[in-house]
Amino acid sequence: MYKLYTVFICRHIPRIQNKLLLIMKLTLVLLISGMLHVSASTSAQNINLSVKDVSLKKVFKELRLQSGYNFLYNSKMLSETSPVSMSVKNMPINEVLDKCFSDQPVTYVIDNNTVIVKRKPSAVASTVQDVTVSGTVKDEKGNPIPGVSVRLKGTVTGTQTDVSGNFRLSVPDGNGTLVFSFIGYATQEAPIISTGSMNIVLKEQAATLNEVVVTALGVKRSEQSLTYATQQVSSEAINQVKTDNLMNALSGKVAGLTITPSASGVGGSSKVILRGSRSANGNNQPLYVIDGIPILNSGNANGQPGGTFGGSTDSGDGISNLNPEDIENISVLEGASAAALYGSLAQNGVILITTKKGKAGKAVINYTSSFSVDHTAYRPQFQNQYGQSPGVISGDVTSWGAPISGAQDNLKDFFQNGTNWTNAINIAAGSENAQTYFSYANTHATGIEPGNKLNRNNFNLRETANLLNNKLTVDGSVNYINQIIDNSPQLGIYSNPLISLYSFPRGVNILPYKNQYEFPDSVGAARQNWITHTGDDHQDNPWWIINREPNTAQRNRLLMSGSVKYQFNSWLYLQVRGNVDRITDDFEQDFYSGSNSLYNSNETGAMKLSNQTLTQKYGDLILNFNVPLQHSDFKINGLLGGSITDQETQGLTLGGNLATPDFFTPANIVVAQPGTNSRPITSNTSAISPSHSQLQALFGDLDFSYNNWAYLTVTGRNDWSSNLSFTNNYSYFYPSAGLSVILTQALKLPQEISYAKVRATFAQVGNTIPPYLTNIQNTQGGGGSLVFNTAAAPNTLKPEKTNSFELGTDLRFFNNRFNFSFTYYKTNTLNQYVPVNYSASSLVSTGYVNAGNVENNGFEFILGYDVFQSHDFTWNTSFNGAMNKNKIIDVDSKDNINTFYLTNDGNGYQSELVKGGSYGDIYAPTLVYNAKGQVMLSGAGTAASPYTPEKSSTYNYVGNPNPKFQLGWSNTFNYKQLSLNFLVDGKFGGQVMSITQAFLDEAGVSEVTGEAREQGGVKVNGVNSLGQPVSTVNAQTWYQTIGQRGGITGEYMYSATVVRLREAALGYTWLVSNSAFKSIKLSLTGRNLIYFYKKAPFDPEVTMSTGNGLSGVDVFNQPATRDVGLDLNVSF
Amino acid sequence: MKKHLKSIPGQGQNNLVYIFIILASLALPGCTKNFEKFNTNPTALSSAQSIAIAATAFGPLEQAIYSNYQIAQNLSADAYAGYMMSPTNFLGGQNNLKYDLVDTYNQHGFNDQYTLVMAPVSKIAKAGARTAAPDIWAVALLIQVEAMDRVTDRFGPIPYSKAGTSLTNIPYDNQQTVYQTFFKQIDTAVSNLQTYIAANPGKSSIGTGDLIYGGDYTKWLKFANSLRLRLAMRIVKADPATAQLQGEKALSAPGGLLAIPSDDAAIAQSGGRSNDLWVVTIDYNGDNHLNAALGTYLTGYKDPRTSIYCVPMTTNAQAYTGIRLGADVTKGNYYSFATYNCITTFTQTSSQLIMTAAEMWFLKAEAALRGWAGAGVTQTDYETGITTSMQQWGVSAGNYLSDATSTEAAYTDPLNSANNSPALSTITIKWDPTATNEQQLERIITQKWLAIFPDGQEAWADFRRTGYPKLFTVADNLSGGTIDTQIQIRRLAYPITEYNTNNAAVKSAVQVLGGPDNGGTRLWWDVNKANF
Repeated sequence: MYKLYTVFICRHIPRIQNKLLLIMKLTLVLLISGMLHVSASTSAQNINLSVKDVSLKKVFKELRLQSGYNFLYNSKMLSETSPVSMSVKNMPINEVLDKCFSDQPVTYVIDNNTVIVKRKPSAVASTVQDVTVSGTVKDEKGNPIPGVSVRLKGTVTGTQTDVSGNFRLSVPDGNGTLVFSFIGYATQEAPIISTGSMNIVLKEQAATLNEVVVTALGVKRSEQSLTYATQQVSSEAINQVKTDNLMNALSGKVAGLTITPSASGVGGSSKVILRGSRSANGNNQPLYVIDGIPILNSGNANGQPGGTFGGSTDSGDGISNLNPEDIENISVLEGASAAALYGSLAQNGVILITTKKGKAGKAVINYTSSFSVDHTAYRPQFQNQYGQSPGVISGDVTSWGAPISGAQDNLKDFFQNGTNWTNAINIAAGSENAQTYFSYANTHATGIEPGNKLNRNNFNLRETANLLNNKLTVDGSVNYINQIIDNSPQLGIYSNPLISLYSFPRGVNILPYKNQYEFPDSVGAARQNWITHTGDDHQDNPWWIINREPNTAQRNRLLMSGSVKYQFNSWLYLQVRGNVDRITDDFEQDFYSGSNSLYNSNETGAMKLSNQTLTQKYGDLILNFNVPLQHSDFKINGLLGGSITDQETQGLTLGGNLATPDFFTPANIVVAQPGTNSRPITSNTSAISPSHSQLQALFGDLDFSYNNWAYLTVTGRNDWSSNLSFTNNYSYFYPSAGLSVILTQALKLPQEISYAKVRATFAQVGNTIPPYLTNIQNTQGGGGSLVFNTAAAPNTLKPEKTNSFELGTDLRFFNNRFNFSFTYYKTNTLNQYVPVNYSASSLVSTGYVNAGNVENNGFEFILGYDVFQSHDFTWNTSFNGAMNKNKIIDVDSKDNINTFYLTNDGNGYQSELVKGGSYGDIYAPTLVYNAKGQVMLSGAGTAASPYTPEKSSTYNYVGNPNPKFQLGWSNTFNYKQLSLNFLVDGKFGGQVMSITQAFLDEAGVSEVTGEAREQGGVKVNGVNSLGQPVSTVNAQTWYQTIGQRGGITGEYMYSATVVRLREAALGYTWLVSNSAFKSIKLSLTGRNLIYFYKKAPFDPEVTMSTGNGLSGVDVFNQPATRDVGLDLNVSF
Repeated sequence: MKKHLKSIPGQGQNNLVYIFIILASLALPGCTKNFEKFNTNPTALSSAQSIAIAATAFGPLEQAIYSNYQIAQNLSADAYAGYMMSPTNFLGGQNNLKYDLVDTYNQHGFNDQYTLVMAPVSKIAKAGARTAAPDIWAVALLIQVEAMDRVTDRFGPIPYSKAGTSLTNIPYDNQQTVYQTFFKQIDTAVSNLQTYIAANPGKSSIGTGDLIYGGDYTKWLKFANSLRLRLAMRIVKADPATAQLQGEKALSAPGGLLAIPSDDAAIAQSGGRSNDLWVVTIDYNGDNHLNAALGTYLTGYKDPRTSIYCVPMTTNAQAYTGIRLGADVTKGNYYSFATYNCITTFTQTSSQLIMTAAEMWFLKAEAALRGWAGAGVTQTDYETGITTSMQQWGVSAGNYLSDATSTEAAYTDPLNSANNSPALSTITIKWDPTATNEQQLERIITQKWLAIFPDGQEAWADFRRTGYPKLFTVADNLSGGTIDTQIQIRRLAYPITEYNTNNAAVKSAVQVLGGPDNGGTRLWWDVNKANF
């Protein structure tokens, strides 16, 4: 968008005769020059040229081929130039250019390898009444921008800014408007102010920052040649309002990207889904690529909760480890098409991250510090009228007792304010030949649950060098990350402090249990002090859990990468790259002997330990070429390459009861006995979870373009996957093809349309299966016993396959002020590996077959508008929206399997893939209705046999948690040095379940249960077994029937629609001159500030797990937080 | 174009060649030669390693005979054998105990033995045990036959000889083929064991991993012969010739039969497993109680084993009143009725019997009655059966053997007189050489039934084959007419899982079954004709 200059070679077609003549001439010239080349020394920068009466355009074309320089110009401007004649040999490019541009109304600057053609300043002679206007042009950070074109609107009068960003221009009178433009920035108009200095701030345009965009494998392509949708997010957008997982900062900013943060406190994982979930068994999250090289996104061996019971604590995913300040920009390749070249890893899309590197010139030091305070954004609503049920000494403690007068807020005694303090410094410096970038960041965050803490240190050193006359480019970086997360909260119904905190009887003072959460038993062992303990595994003292069931997850990650690129000549380069991403995770959780016997059956204490090292080695070799077809309207470029990705996991997990009480060391874990097949009394000991996968690939990409308005891209890739060895399908090929047409160049369109592009892509991506599935081996169980593996060895298994089709358009209007982009897509994911339970007499426990067809289709759009542009005030607004429709066309009907369970653990919540349904459909027990729509009630309506709602015998469909439509609206205001950004986003449609609410209702602590009692019962449209209508059901009977985890959980579905003020930042920049500082910016930031609309009793966006299951269910999840902070940014 | 190519420096051309060589070499299969190694779990076992530690697998394999005991056997066979009845009103009274067959219970009596016994045994075979460890293979086969016999005797035709040959269409064998296969497998086991014992006297590869005999192969050999005799007698009405052939083979087999209580085959508890009868009686808060039938016989005979087998009513310490099968247990507190003795006999840690020496003596008695060679004298076998059982339970027979007057007692339900019944049997204990064959058979089987308690699976099979002991009919028949109250239940219906996953095969099995797939259809060996 907002392109002032476009790479045109030919737009206005001359008369054919002329053209033919020209071609003949040029051919001759080139033939001669080509021959000369053979003998002449070949410096890429030196030019041989002999032309006569040739248009500049043609000359540029030839110069481009000889020098490798790109030319950026406006065709209209070039049409005012006169033909050129010259004959030069081995002349430096700048001299040739000088020759070309003498006596022309245009001039040029060279930026990097690009020749930017501009109008000559002040081409028109001054008139008598000239007024001199002066001023400074700066960027948003306050840095002066040199070389900005300043032009009097509607004339050719203009100049450009000097190195300090200052300009001075003579204009005919004091009226009129100046147009400021510079590549990579939004063009700005400002009325002339002849008295005093004009201060212009140009806004960077992320999408036009690079005329070329980074695509798969780090290959740069001109944006207009892309046949698929990509979206860019700038460093500023990521860092505006800091979070502890950088992916959360992308929420609402990219169309079609759904971010679902985990409810697991500071440093938790984030679920990232592009264009809907597609794989039942496999990963649905995108591939993360840093500077062209894939990285790991794994959590630790302990993982996340696998079911509603909870049990595992999340310690963050791989992407959350990165320092957001190191990121230059993020490019989101949404479709399989964009990712075809990354192969299997990328069938869910790719998030391409370009990191900062050193820059030639003066050293720049940036320091940022941000601090935020996080509060719970909502809390459950409690009743304050009824106290504890009488007579309960064990089991559930409930609040169905006598009226009380008021109850205190127990939650304030537990929750604390979370904080996040991030300090980061980076230094960029370098010469023409070598550049250095160094950064260090420290993130220190505390959660709202006491004891939950994150401490992360990031070190990054990157060196880039250009050698051998810029032919050889070497780039290397080392990242070291150390992260410790303490006491990541347990979600679910066990060992979760929230369940007993929330259910605590109303009107009873909780503080004694806080102040003394343990007491010694008869032999002096510390035991929990809690209102109830025996007989109910849900009930533990919350402060016992946070103090006596501590966990800590430590991660050390070393990410090293290097690349060497050799440019043979203007059209061919070879690149070798590689990286090693090595993550070592240590996890420990200790359960003191007074902990719940679920974890601690011997009441001596228990511990869980894991130590896992994941290593991914990646290497690729790419030959990139640009076929030198000088006098053709066709251009062909492309690449050939090969890659190897090798992933290895090694580690140990240990767990079990302790021999010596509360002595937390691995050697103290009790060992299980062999020969166990049911009801173990000792816990499991060790399990090792190694894996080794290797993927080898050969790939190619060919791009054809015609006259720079039609582009065809064809890719092909063949993978060899070790995970598919022992089958005949370990080698598989998949292709893609795409077409884009720039209508504004191909046709004559009205002037209001600045740019119009249509594009279409079809792509296929294969995906391998997990390791060891095709090679069935027996294993060894506890105590060394043989454990038979009776799964089938499916040597017919094939890779999963996604077919993806997309169609889109990018449009810009009114001199690029208004832009619109739209993409329709459809993907079908086939050949998924589906577990099949055969007849027992097959003697196979589980088989895997290729089956399934999951379809996602939908659209995305982006709409941007520069609402207001004046020299003091700008307002830019943009919308991004996406609609996704998921449909399970088939699960495995040929094997009579029409359901695949993502979560199925019997707590009133099932997440399923059902033929005809959509991904993650929620099934639950429901009320039973008769034909008249009345609720069926059992019981006689007496005190001994009260009316009780009937529960359906099966689990029924009750909703799907995925949003149907998402919309993000971001706004940027700049007024002088003041800036304001805010982002509102909404997720519309979908339903979520609250098991939390079901528990609180059953316990009689929730507000609704109080209200129901106040009004004498629950009002229903019911019918008893005799067919008589019933309008009121006893509140306790009703809620104790429908509530808790085994109740009629279908009654606990809520709209997932949520609209919020996601981010806001108000900043002020001080420009400091003649000081060590260049600029200081201070911002007031906020995240998740206001829910404009939210019907569920929790934030429907927050998830219990970022895996495929447990979507759209709240089982005592940590509440989402509302964060307010300050951000300081200092440049030296 | 061609000219231009020439402009590339020569070095570049060499590089190009080099690059393409690298790329091409990537494509060579040689590069993927480590793939199978990568895809082999280094912490999983190779076949040789599996064999090497196969002994450790025997405990779980043996325990799987009684997998999901309550729903796989207790709430069906034990009840139908007249041993147990539950005071728990399962599923609102609509359950097996009233002939309303509960698929989710009964399917475990089908599927578990495939998944937990046959599938692992097939993996032992796959690991090469047939040739590499014939002794291990022999014991594995015997466990499999023991387990699968219980399956075929519950359901009829089952997938057996062709189990594991297909994923989606596993043919069923008719029951005759199943039994023939059993006999062949016992042949293999016997031959392998004899060879091993001869070559390695006193040795064993399975050792203490074996929860039945602690790796004593001579006892496994006795078990093999005894199993052959048990199976032979089962088919005596359906295929008398094979029955006699196999029976006589067992009676004369080297190694002998289980003869004294120390030969008894029982699965010791290990790995945290508890005795199933203790679990269902104590741990499950009294789900398992005494059946009216067992109470009436024990009481009538003043049997010395009574207090070993049972504890009396909590409301009357003298009364060993059980519950009538199919009784409406909501009519009062049936938990107060007599129940299994899980205090001193079937304790949490006590072993679980699968075959006893006493059973063999009763089988010999019947064999002698039928004139099979090598069976000995009927009376001696009968009386040795009783005394062996008394020995097994550590009680004195006293004058039990000479009691010619005691008979089964009448049944009185103190909570619901509708369940009352006069005694059904008049058979006494003392051997009467002048009695008819039919009377002698009733005497043998009635005493066998008292001796092999609590193995309801075997007892139900004997009841179906011989009609003995005489058992009270179900108090409430909810079978919807598919099971005749007087004839009583003959089998269980095939699990729904088979109809879902092996549809064609189970449908053709029902053809072979020769009647509808319900509890009223007789099995192949359950021939509706006179015993003699």
